[in-house]
Amino acid sequence: MTIATPAQRWPVRAGPYLGPILALVIWELGARALSDAFVLAAPSAILIYLSDNAALMARALGVTLGNAAAGFVIGNLAAIALATLAVVWPRSDAMVRGLALLVFCLPLVATGPILRVVFGPGPWPQIVLAALAVYYTTLIPLLVGLRALPTGWLDLVRSYGRGRMAALIHVRAMAALPYLVAGLQIAAPAAFLGAMVGEFTGAERGMGVLTIRAMRGMNVEMTWALASVATAVAVLGYLAIGWIARLFMADEPPVILAAPAEGGRKGSRAFLTVLAVAAAMIAIWWGGLRLLNLSPFFAKGPWDVFEALFLAPDAAATRSTLANAMRETGVFLLPGYVAGLAAGAVLAMLVVLFPAISGTAMPVAIALRSVPIITTAPLVVLILGRGALGTVVLVAIMVFFPTFVACLHGLRQAPGRVMDVMRSYAASPWQVLLRVRIPAMLPAFFAAARMNVPASVLAVTVVEWLATGNGIGSVMALSASLSDYDMLWSSVALVCVLSAMGYACVGLLERRVLAAYAPEQLA
Amino acid sequence: MTAKPVINRRHLLVTGAGAMGAGILGLSPRHAFAQSQVSLQLSWLHSTQFAGSYIALDRGWWAEGGLEVSLLQGGPNAPVEPPVVSGTALVGISAADYTAAAVAEGAPFKIIGVAMQNNPFAITSLTENPVNVPSDLEGKRIGMALANTPVLQALCTLNDVDFDAIEIVPTQYSPQPLVAGEVDCLLSWETDLPVALTIQGVDNTTMLLADHGYAVHSQTYIVTEDSLANRRDDIVALMAGEVRGWDAYREDTDAATDLTLAMFPDAGLDLETQRLQAARQVPLMFSDLTDANGFGWWTDETVAANIETLALLDRTVTPDLWDRSILEEVHGS
Repeated sequence: MTIATPAQRWPVRAGPYLGPILALVIWELGARALSDAFVLAAPSAILIYLSDNAALMARALGVTLGNAAAGFVIGNLAAIALATLAVVWPRSDAMVRGLALLVFCLPLVATGPILRVVFGPGPWPQIVLAALAVYYTTLIPLLVGLRALPTGWLDLVRSYGRGRMAALIHVRAMAALPYLVAGLQIAAPAAFLGAMVGEFTGAERGMGVLTIRAMRGMNVEMTWALASVATAVAVLGYLAIGWIARLFMADEPPVILAAPAEGGRKGSRAFLTVLAVAAAMIAIWWGGLRLLNLSPFFAKGPWDVFEALFLAPDAAATRSTLANAMRETGVFLLPGYVAGLAAGAVLAMLVVLFPAISGTAMPVAIALRSVPIITTAPLVVLILGRGALGTVVLVAIMVFFPTFVACLHGLRQAPGRVMDVMRSYAASPWQVLLRVRIPAMLPAFFAAARMNVPASVLAVTVVEWLATGNGIGSVMALSASLSDYDMLWSSVALVCVLSAMGYACVGLLERRVLAAYAPEQLA
Repeated sequence: MTAKPVINRRHLLVTGAGAMGAGILGLSPRHAFAQSQVSLQLSWLHSTQFAGSYIALDRGWWAEGGLEVSLLQGGPNAPVEPPVVSGTALVGISAADYTAAAVAEGAPFKIIGVAMQNNPFAITSLTENPVNVPSDLEGKRIGMALANTPVLQALCTLNDVDFDAIEIVPTQYSPQPLVAGEVDCLLSWETDLPVALTIQGVDNTTMLLADHGYAVHSQTYIVTEDSLANRRDDIVALMAGEVRGWDAYREDTDAATDLTLAMFPDAGLDLETQRLQAARQVPLMFSDLTDANGFGWWTDETVAANIETLALLDRTVTPDLWDRSILEEVHGS
């Protein structure tokens, strides 16, 4: 496809290796320069640690990887089942999206201890947290992909007298494959991270347990050895999924021609949907607590939260605590979210324009996402200070990777025939990017923007909990340790409601843009 | 280091022989009685912090009392109170301030034993810029988890130190900012961050809060009122094992450390760190009071001091939060 001139050949061949080698050298030198600060271990020191403790690391990796893999499979199967339900039975679509969003918003600080009480000792809390970490980022691209097809194809299925199931199997499933791959690739590091954080709930062994130990013991080599292994595993998972996917996806993406959408939903119907989702969520919340027979001491129901927020004598104080915390969090969250989205989209475009940089960009991008945030936080804080900037950057890092992967897949969804036309007119790469690739990317970009709303909230609360100690993440951790479960559940409810509102805002913007560029998504 | 997850009895014979009465070792009493299954919820990851319990488990002292005990590990996202309230764990390891908070929220807890007579909170500073007495804190930057702000406030009130003259930096749970010069001192447990610093070769000075009026029982054993009424025999048997285990721990902390590492080869424990932690824990757990009355003991006076300090932490409690009847049965007094 690409015809390299002799002058281009060298960078094309060496390019993929040059970046990583340079990065390693900078890392080694940087670590040596910072050796007194106890934040960064050199690659050489990490290798020595790994070879000295190979057996310990291998056992921990085996445990965490097993839990992550189980969570990965369960979470992604759940996502595929939910997406199928939403497409085969379109009436359930809004309910599926709404409930999936709200469940994804539940903070780890709150769900971890409850899962531990429900499941007792053993791997299930870790597996469930890994599954919870992945299902949503697969569901959203998949819902986009199941609609990313020319309406003519569906008409064809219908003209043969076949129904929705046939359309799903023969047409939609194939169209969704690239989007599913994007979802699975995003899920690989997320599952591993979910399993590690799940170990914070009192697991006996695994990489997460060792990470806590290493951080508290100021054992920098061990910390970074763990982070390096976690990263390597995530990168391998990402690449393996991509490799398997390429075996199945040979065809060039089709041109998607669809009639412009008719003006979106009526306001009253959207309002009813929101009410229905809220009612369903409250019913599940209340019913779930009943079903699991959890103690009212720590399992607070919808009524307890309402009482704590509006009726209790200290309700005003509770509300103002929450409001202040949310304000602190918002200052970090919004800039981090926007910066992460922008960085992800721009890097994806750069990779498409200059394929040579992908050898460096991809591993760095995956590494940034999969290095446990608790390991990178001290380094980021050291470099950027303990102020807002450090937290903003950490949030941006968490948002960046799903956006980058989704946009990269989106950019590659540029229809083959349109690309041929552009090529035959000798259009420059910039023109191709601007007129074909970016419009093709928009559905994926907005899917990323939506799924990153709760993801960024999760990121900011984890950073606040483990590193900076302010905002809503700190309020949640503090109220859990002081048994103030009314406050904890109120925070959780508030975070869920605000995330859903943020999601709805992005959705509104998306409908406007996609009505022009990808109307098939709105059908 | 042995990598076997199962404890080798011969290994323990060698490492722990000096520490214990030899009579018990030959026997394998674990299945001699009808076993009642109970769980003990620990407050943190497995380490020598709980080595007394490991000794009791390993030597079969609980099995002798008819108990099959599971030790449930804690962690950063594993509060102790929910499993105890919900009955997953019969007994939990908490601290008087956390227990007081939970009781205020309606949890029916009683404290039935006090493992740490002296509160383990300490202020750690670099030896070249030390904090030796509370008044040294004025004008200093202190790194700590924001959750512990009330602890610092209480210390200041107890010692007439100007709280506003201290700058709090939310470093949460890492000792690294002290080494990096970001803060002048850290608030943490004496057996935690300062041990890590010492092992890493950083000269440090610690000031124990308990030496400056901060009286809060720590590593306390908590049970629900319901368990106390209905599962009394199990609780007595569990605490009897704990008392024997911790007395054996005190005899030889190095042997206790070896046992900890042998029992939890996957925990990533460092021998030197654990030995130092085990040794530093002894003066926190044992005092003239326990020498006279036995492990876990308290008196009306120590409870009164606790209530006073807890009031500074905005916790109002009454002496009936503590219930000594189990210990009295164990120690036969």
